Amino acid sequence: MPRLVDMLLSAVLLAGLYATMAYGLGLIYGVLRVVNLAHGGVLMAGAYLGWYLHERFGLDPYLSLPVVLVASFVLGVGLYQGLVRWLPRGAAGGPASLLLLFGVWLVLRNIAYLVFTGNDRTILTAYSSSSVAILGSHVSLNRLVVLGIAVAIAVLLHLGLRRTQVGRAIRAVAQNADSCTLVGIDTHRIYTLSFGIGTALAGVAGVLLATIFPFSPSSGSSELLKAFVVVVLGGLGSITGVALAALIVATVEVFAIFVLPAYLTTAVGFVLLVAILVLRPGGLFGHRVLA
Amino acid sequence: MIVRSPSWIWRRVDLALLAGCVVLAVLPVVLEPSAYTHNQLTFLFLTSAGALAWNWLGGFVGQVSFGHAAMFGVGGFVAARLMLSLHLPAPLGWLGGAVVAGGFALGAHPLLRLRGPYFSIATIGVGEASRLGFTYWESFTGGSSGLSLAIDGDLQYQLYWWALALAAAVAAASLAIRRSSLGLKLLAIKADADAAADVGISATFYQDLICVLSGAVVGLTGGLYASYQSFIEPTDMFGFERSITFVLMAVIGGVGTPLGALLGAVVFVLVRIYLLASYPDLYLGLYGVLLILIILFEPLGLTGLARRGLRWVRRAPAPPGAAS
Repeated sequence: MPRLVDMLLSAVLLAGLYATMAYGLGLIYGVLRVVNLAHGGVLMAGAYLGWYLHERFGLDPYLSLPVVLVASFVLGVGLYQGLVRWLPRGAAGGPASLLLLFGVWLVLRNIAYLVFTGNDRTILTAYSSSSVAILGSHVSLNRLVVLGIAVAIAVLLHLGLRRTQVGRAIRAVAQNADSCTLVGIDTHRIYTLSFGIGTALAGVAGVLLATIFPFSPSSGSSELLKAFVVVVLGGLGSITGVALAALIVATVEVFAIFVLPAYLTTAVGFVLLVAILVLRPGGLFGHRVLA
Repeated sequence: MIVRSPSWIWRRVDLALLAGCVVLAVLPVVLEPSAYTHNQLTFLFLTSAGALAWNWLGGFVGQVSFGHAAMFGVGGFVAARLMLSLHLPAPLGWLGGAVVAGGFALGAHPLLRLRGPYFSIATIGVGEASRLGFTYWESFTGGSSGLSLAIDGDLQYQLYWWALALAAAVAAASLAIRRSSLGLKLLAIKADADAAADVGISATFYQDLICVLSGAVVGLTGGLYASYQSFIEPTDMFGFERSITFVLMAVIGGVGTPLGALLGAVVFVLVRIYLLASYPDLYLGLYGVLLILIILFEPLGLTGLARRGLRWVRRAPAPPGAAS
């Protein structure tokens, strides 16, 4: 029987990863009102890019983060400029944007199959199996670093959205795009930027994911769902809300092992998703947009 | 996106559908095609029926479901169980599967108050949870090793007409729904559920109704598919890929149009025959590109293209309200 402290620790470590997976999805939804169904595909693509840089050039996965960040930012800008901006906005664009981005996901998946084959991959480094002792339990060094990076991303994102001119413009567009046009904010630029940043965050999350879990071209759907649970639970766009929600989801998942057979614990995320969508569609912390 | 066609198209569609069914019904007797072609056509009818029924919920009501594999799987496994354990004749098994799948779909009742992307993503959750749950329930589904049905050559052969009858009935029902007051109510709900409620159309009731009907038909398809394959396993029946195929066929053919999914199913089966064998690595990406092109350039898919073609041939100005 695992100790309570161990389980709480692993929940916290998992939460960092889940939060990072969720920020990009939340940002894009908050600003553009588009659910980025390609999110899972970008996670997978980021994981492969990190893996490739490590295998081919021996680049440490954590050092490859800036490269992945830039590459997926460019991908995001391209996706927005080439595809998403041509869609009708608002309610009418709902199913259309969903299907379009789903198409993008299928294409990404196919490219990954063609380039990397369908085999499972993991990023294995010299320190992958080392651990440190915290509160009397052994914690994987890798997971600890991932948590550190997740916290750093959250802080940077928070400061960026609050303290910089661009961040304030992004929040303003999320609240009311029409008024932004009136005061001279180039909403088109903000949309492009937000989609780029959201995609970049997904790519980074993909690398973090790849340092812990094995992945293949078909990965991404359960990650997308978890990210979505976290975003919905956290109230779309609130960064502290997302972090708290990630902690809740991770805790529920870790403790589900007590009540469910091991095989079914994967289903917990899905059930949680449906339950939250039905019971609290506004999120636990209400409707706050990019607060 | 309200889709109404002028009546001259309707009459021709009816005639074409009827003629098509008659031709297909006598085809095996007259031409005696190879067993391979016979089987591929049976598969085409089954996929058409599933895609048409998906379109009732995804197209008519506008609730895009990524979880219809759940009903397909439930229908398939209940039918298989009824045949294996209770030794019921196949048609009764299929019917039982359809009823249970319809009931299972009613379980989506709480989801149906979600709209747009929320509903779609929730259905991914339901589909995946069902896959895991039914794979785990080994005593019922045989777990990951699946269930094998007794192979009955006569039934396999006759399945052609069962599947054709099912597809024809679902196509006729699609046309009937679109032309009835029910179809208009569904269009109203799709356009604006709140406004529909203001004129006395209960979105809750009609969405439940359509979800159950759509689920039951997809379940029935699943049952016939179980007999068609003689072997079914949960990861295939409940798989996300299967849910996707319903979406793809309907979108390629023309989502929201009554018979577009038929065209989509034809494309799907042709791709399966010609591309999957020679380029198994390319088919997902091909569908992805098709999806992107359709959404950007012709949201009504092949049906939209066909309508443009017809209009161009007749050189007539677009009839008011024909599309968009």
